[in-house]
Amino acid sequence: MGRLFWKFFIFIWLAQLTTIWGVGSAIWLIRHNESRNLSGVDTSRPASYFVEAAASTLQYGGAAALKNLIKTGSRHPVYVVDEEGHDILDRPVDGATVETMLLAIKNGPPPQTIRQVSASGHTYTLFVPETTGSSNGFFLNRFGSNASGFPQRPQVHLFPVVPVVTATLASLIFASLLAWYFSKPIRNLRSAFESAAAGNLNVSLISIMGKRRDDLADLGRDFDHMAGKLRGLIESQRRLLHDISHELRSPLARLQAAIGLLRQHPGNLESSMERIERECVRMDRLVGELLTLSKLEAGVTGSMQQTANFSELLEDIVTDARFEAKAQGKAVEVTGRCHAAIQGNIELLHHAIENVVRNAVKYAPINSSIIIELWEDPGICALGIAILDEGPGVPETELDLIFEPFYRGSSTEMRTDGYGLGLAIAYRAIKAHGGSIRAINRKTRGLRIEMLIPTLP
Amino acid sequence: MISLVITEAAEAKLKVLLIDDDVELVEMLKEYLEREGITVTVAHDGEQGLSAVMSGDYGIVVLDVMMPRLNGMETLRRIRMKSPVPILMLTARGDDTDRIIGLELGADDYVAKPCSPRELTARIRAILRRTQVASLHGGSSQYLEVGELRMWPLQRRAECHGVALQLTSTEFNLLEILVRHAGQSVSKKSLSERGLGRPLARFDRSIDVHMSKIRNKLGTLADGRSYIYTDYRQGYRFIKG
Repeated sequence: MGRLFWKFFIFIWLAQLTTIWGVGSAIWLIRHNESRNLSGVDTSRPASYFVEAAASTLQYGGAAALKNLIKTGSRHPVYVVDEEGHDILDRPVDGATVETMLLAIKNGPPPQTIRQVSASGHTYTLFVPETTGSSNGFFLNRFGSNASGFPQRPQVHLFPVVPVVTATLASLIFASLLAWYFSKPIRNLRSAFESAAAGNLNVSLISIMGKRRDDLADLGRDFDHMAGKLRGLIESQRRLLHDISHELRSPLARLQAAIGLLRQHPGNLESSMERIERECVRMDRLVGELLTLSKLEAGVTGSMQQTANFSELLEDIVTDARFEAKAQGKAVEVTGRCHAAIQGNIELLHHAIENVVRNAVKYAPINSSIIIELWEDPGICALGIAILDEGPGVPETELDLIFEPFYRGSSTEMRTDGYGLGLAIAYRAIKAHGGSIRAINRKTRGLRIEMLIPTLP
Repeated sequence: MISLVITEAAEAKLKVLLIDDDVELVEMLKEYLEREGITVTVAHDGEQGLSAVMSGDYGIVVLDVMMPRLNGMETLRRIRMKSPVPILMLTARGDDTDRIIGLELGADDYVAKPCSPRELTARIRAILRRTQVASLHGGSSQYLEVGELRMWPLQRRAECHGVALQLTSTEFNLLEILVRHAGQSVSKKSLSERGLGRPLARFDRSIDVHMSKIRNKLGTLADGRSYIYTDYRQGYRFIKG
């Protein structure tokens, strides 16, 4: 049991105890006062029946009939006193009791157990004096009888011990149940957090919490959701690290092979040096791209306040791409025009669009052309650019995956130069500028990558 | 299957099949190995490699297990289903699971990539040397016998209860060493040096994996014990008689 359980338990129990003792004391006080006002009078229900019966007898049968009735005897002997305080059967009566009774009648409507009846010129007051055993159920009245048999005023009103103790015990049970009910899910949450901190994210609180439906269960559900997200994130980071190490290994292996060749045959110095240099440049490029990617992932995009004309930006990219494509026997065509101004990190946007275009050039077959479509959408203040190639396309199920780092199409025929980071960078850069990017397969053949980039009004 | 290798081993003694998807690396390694007097054929993916194994006769296959498409492990499994040719796999440095899976699938040994071409050549030579011995003495009928097991080291053939055993070249080497010292414990260090042709690396589980495969192939003695006993911290011992 945790500390929380005890706190809950103690507070709930204290509250219940206070209530029990408060209510108990209040009832005791009321009863105490009542019995002080009407001390010596039996206020129980049977007594009221007898008083009622006696009152009717007196009213309709007269004093003689009543005397006969009383003489027959009963567990609840009805006393009948006249104005002077004398009982009609001359039984001894406690004067103080009669006085308090009369006072009670004068102060308000008399309780049911006291009746005043006028008959044969006298006003009789009917009541049943208290006797031992006529306790009214809640209060333990101890009653001392004197020698004459007439009960005297009760001397001690004891506090209601048994009911209070019972209620206290019951409250103990309910308080611990309630405390357990609250603290258990919290303890579950705590152990889940602990195991998450220890690296185990495969905890499911929902299965532990069962059918519970409340805020704590919602918290558990949120925790499960969070753990799931974290699990995915960690998994993707792990995969990324694995991919990076693999990608770094390849140029390293080539470097080692080149050095080995040089050792074996020092004559080939120039060509080996060239090879080594090429591998160094490749590694440098890979590290650079990884840095860009990690900056984008971390949300560090540098200044986003630069403005530029989109057509100028694109012209740069197209010129480079044409040069590259021509060398491979491919062409680049631009349709539509767009002169909108854009704002953001221009270098990053340049990098993003260039990556998509170069990717298209890379996968396009020889003697085909890459088409760049442009349009403006003033309605949503954005420009659209689509890059279409006639390459192999991407299987429908993998269309979303091409923006993941190090993804290489399963249908990729040849080993292509590059690391599979270009589109991942493009995706994150466009997203960072509030734009969108998606890939669809063309109806005929090839891939269409479409970007929407917000423009300045 | 093993006899097939022996008859052709003479001409295949220095033929290496290199399967790796890194075109440039393969070219450089080929250049290096050829200058060392080793004939090299290259394949750039698993499928190509598999058909090359089927059509040619190679002294050894060097296989990169980290290939996309028909991945290295799958290629390894398929080659092993059809041929007992020695396989040296290239694994990522520090990836123990790859190594153990590879050895389980029947690879003879591994080299961590990136490695220097000199190391790779030494490893290839070590494996080739062991298989070459057989070709030089082809046809000899000298044999070793312990209990129900009979081995013809020069023909690289083994029988247990009269049934031929399908052992890879490394498994054969290791078993031969144990049988030659039957009844004595042979340390893992010595098994690695003489059977794999390389010193035992720290935390190297190759010998253990090979041993468990040999045990599976040998079956058990009449009393249910394994033929090969593990002497705790000592090494392995072939039970005599």
